[in-house]
Amino acid sequence: MSVVKQDSAGSRIANPLITVSQFAPWFVVIVFLSLLPVIFTSGAALTIMNQMAITIIFALAYNMLLGQGGMLSFGHAVYMGLGGFFCVHLMNMIEYDGLWLPLPLLPFFGGLFGLVFALIIGTFSTRRAGTVFAMISLGVGELIAASSIIVVVFFGGEEGISGDRTMGPETFGLDFASQLEVYYLTAFWLVISALAMYLFSRTPVGRMANAVRDNEERAEFLGYSQRNVRFISFCASGFFAGIAGGIFAINFEILTEENLNLATSGSILLITFLGGVGFFVGPIIGAIVFTFLQTVLSLYTEIWQLYLGTLFLLTVMFFPFGLTGLIAMHMRPYQLGKISLLVKPYLRMAIPGIVCVLSFSSLLEIAFHAKHAAIGEEHMSLFGFGFNSYNILLWLVVLVLSIGSGWLCKRLAVGVREAWDEANFVEPRS
Amino acid sequence: MSEIAIELQGLRKNFGFAEIIRGVDLSIEKGERHAIIGPNGAGKSTLFNLITGKFHVSGGTIKMHGDPVENLKPFEINRRGLSRSFQITNIFPKMTVFENIRCGLLWTMGYKYSFWTLVNRQAGLSERTDEILEQINMSDRRNELAGVLTYAEQRALEIGITIAGGADIIMLDEPTAGMSHSETENIVELIRGVTEDKTLVMVEHDMGVVFNLADRISVLVYGQIIASDTPENVRADVNVQEAYLGTAIDAEH
Amino acid sequence: MSLLLVNLLDGLVTGLLLFMLCSGLTLIFSMMGVLNFAHASFYMLGAYFAYQISTYVGFWPGLILAPIIVGLAGALVERYGLRRVHKFGHVPELVFTFGLALLIEEIVQFFWGKSHMAYEPPALLNFTALTIAGNGFPAYKVFMIFMAMAIFLVLLYILTRTRVGLIIQAALSYPETVQNLGHNVPLVFMGVFGVGTALAGVAGVIAGPTLGTFPGMAAVLGSIVFVTIVIGGLGSLWGALAASLLIGWLQTFAASYNIVIGDVLVAVGFPMPVNLDDSALRDLWTLTVSQIGPILPYLLMVLVLVIRPQGLFGKRET
Repeated sequence: MSVVKQDSAGSRIANPLITVSQFAPWFVVIVFLSLLPVIFTSGAALTIMNQMAITIIFALAYNMLLGQGGMLSFGHAVYMGLGGFFCVHLMNMIEYDGLWLPLPLLPFFGGLFGLVFALIIGTFSTRRAGTVFAMISLGVGELIAASSIIVVVFFGGEEGISGDRTMGPETFGLDFASQLEVYYLTAFWLVISALAMYLFSRTPVGRMANAVRDNEERAEFLGYSQRNVRFISFCASGFFAGIAGGIFAINFEILTEENLNLATSGSILLITFLGGVGFFVGPIIGAIVFTFLQTVLSLYTEIWQLYLGTLFLLTVMFFPFGLTGLIAMHMRPYQLGKISLLVKPYLRMAIPGIVCVLSFSSLLEIAFHAKHAAIGEEHMSLFGFGFNSYNILLWLVVLVLSIGSGWLCKRLAVGVREAWDEANFVEPRS
Repeated sequence: MSEIAIELQGLRKNFGFAEIIRGVDLSIEKGERHAIIGPNGAGKSTLFNLITGKFHVSGGTIKMHGDPVENLKPFEINRRGLSRSFQITNIFPKMTVFENIRCGLLWTMGYKYSFWTLVNRQAGLSERTDEILEQINMSDRRNELAGVLTYAEQRALEIGITIAGGADIIMLDEPTAGMSHSETENIVELIRGVTEDKTLVMVEHDMGVVFNLADRISVLVYGQIIASDTPENVRADVNVQEAYLGTAIDAEH
Repeated sequence: MSLLLVNLLDGLVTGLLLFMLCSGLTLIFSMMGVLNFAHASFYMLGAYFAYQISTYVGFWPGLILAPIIVGLAGALVERYGLRRVHKFGHVPELVFTFGLALLIEEIVQFFWGKSHMAYEPPALLNFTALTIAGNGFPAYKVFMIFMAMAIFLVLLYILTRTRVGLIIQAALSYPETVQNLGHNVPLVFMGVFGVGTALAGVAGVIAGPTLGTFPGMAAVLGSIVFVTIVIGGLGSLWGALAASLLIGWLQTFAASYNIVIGDVLVAVGFPMPVNLDDSALRDLWTLTVSQIGPILPYLLMVLVLVIRPQGLFGKRET
């Protein structure tokens, strides 16, 4: 579960602030982010990339609670949302009241607002971790979301509030009317926030957050109040969630109740868990995969949420360490030089696996179409084929395919497991 | 007249109607190695948990270096210079051995709740951690996850975490429980080494360890101390032999 | 006076309904340490199953069959899902039930679509039972009250007079020690989860016709149920009952009195701001009690947590 710890490299002298090996990945990320809009130039791509960046910051902030602090929150959208609402108000003050504030600084103020709110809620919610913390976060989240409908002055009621990001003083000659400029601003904040959150995890209080998560009693007997440690993590998380909210405000220029409610809080939990809570990069991978899947699936099917829900549940049941955990699992066979043992069983599994997933989803799609399509619209198309969804023969074929491939997968799983054990086997030390 | 490290007066603890600690008076001098022994269910662990702040006291006083500390939180007691280990291994299994020890050092080295210093840039911190690893003979296990260590190694690590902060009162709850003979010998030497010039209070079942290590022994039976003296006098004490020890001591020596 | 009576009765219906959900949730939580986030989803399943059954054979068989099916589904979820996740700890368990809640909502939409179902009270109960100063009180609600009371009494009997009840009581008081009782713990867990979800199913069957049978019905009630048991004190059945009734009445009374808060403030002696539209506090002055009704349970929860963290009847510090 533990991340590869870079600080345990073994040197006894003071390390420099950032070593070359530590800086290298960040440098690659910065170059990569700068080049992305050159590769993907369309407006839609920029929108998705911005969306991903916001989600990454939010998921990283969320993982400061869940992964590093052991606090499961069902209401973290509140801190992002409030930061966002505050930023829209600031944008409107820039526009109408002549407030002088360059737009690039806006997310910082969103963060401050998230922080202030986390300071208030954290005083009573961080007393305990686990179930109780989860329930309080849910209650507070629902309270704010429900209040947002009736408190019109701040939240704008059902329509929410909107602003215009281009009205501020020009910064470096930019007015942020174009999406590309917004992309670079977003990427800038992404790197800053991710770096800050990474460094936070390497500070004394960040290390003790892990300690309290694993064993709160032991931590108390080492001089640390578990409550204070959680409180500090909670506030930091609220701060970064607020930053994500600020960037959201800049990107979309509108915030509504949807930014505060349980659905949003729940999906960030989903994203983080999918990516892997035990790893710093987990939420990043989760955010990218989720945003991508969401965008693609929702283009092609009405029941995409059913698929995502299933994927999520399967992840919790079978891979509680998420996608990153799945990758990290293979580090050991790789180090043992036995990764090649896995290639063949994996490839053998791939074909029935893919057929299984596709045929099951076809079954769902056909059933859904047959049940809900308007009368007279029996025709549907799937993977480029057009057919009648009431065709019994078709039903049979898909049914046989899915059951057959499922059965085959189950058979082949034995071989994969054996290969896995073999690949992880270490000769006992004599 | 030497200084008193821990002083208990009329200490009581009841859970509901069950009275577990029934008026304990005990004073432990600074620099002394003190063992608390007694049959199962006598309340040894409860006494430990009262002194270290895990349980609230029902009556009586606890003084550390002359200051009352009863009903303080565990972390407050720890900050006054008392550190403890646990009967059931209590470490951070998902962290490396190095990090486990470092967690024990952070508070006393003054880092507190700092979120502006990076732990791996603190030369003094890493150095001190490595010194302690050396002291508990675990330098070669430095980068292993604590959860994958053997039982005996985890027990040694637990002692390492306990002494890391440099507390001057060390309380060990059955440090040799579940260990083989040779492992026990190692751990006794380890304890002797790391508690040099410190006050040690330990609960222990292994009489060999007790008589080997302790300067003084208190015998706790049914929530009361029936004897508190040097090992020789305790062994000779008629009450003790009647109540509990007799055969056990003869068997061990 | 008569409006008061109607509200008392309406609040009682809501409160008892809440309690049916809370009692199952509390049982499951006390025995297994799992807060079942999907509890309200089983309530929804109860309503949908009963509706489906009622389209074939009418309302009454559904009243029996639907909760049984829901209970079986719950037991299966415990056996093949929760038990698997159990070894990873409480947080993954909670995350699992959260995912389950999402999935059940999607599955319901898959089969029944997004619209309201035409699930109606049975014709037998489709009349006005009593009229209080012009306000009719439908017979179906009387039936709901009796059903809830009956279930409550059965539960009370089982808990206090039977062997199973004694085990459960022991578990409620000393959650850590159940494992040592020598009972077949996995089976007990499966049973408790099945019965708990079946209770939620019953609530769904009888609430479906009045509160509406639609995919959002779980979300509407879900959070309130959690808030209720936190207010009552986690793991306390009596606390759950008290809090359920409290919230039932709170919401009913808030909804029926259209008092503008500004009027109250003026009556107490605060001066009304001159240009209200520019005031930052204008919401405070123009809101009505019925508007803030939905947020009252959450406010109450925050208040309780600040003043009495273990909940009204809870023994354990939360």
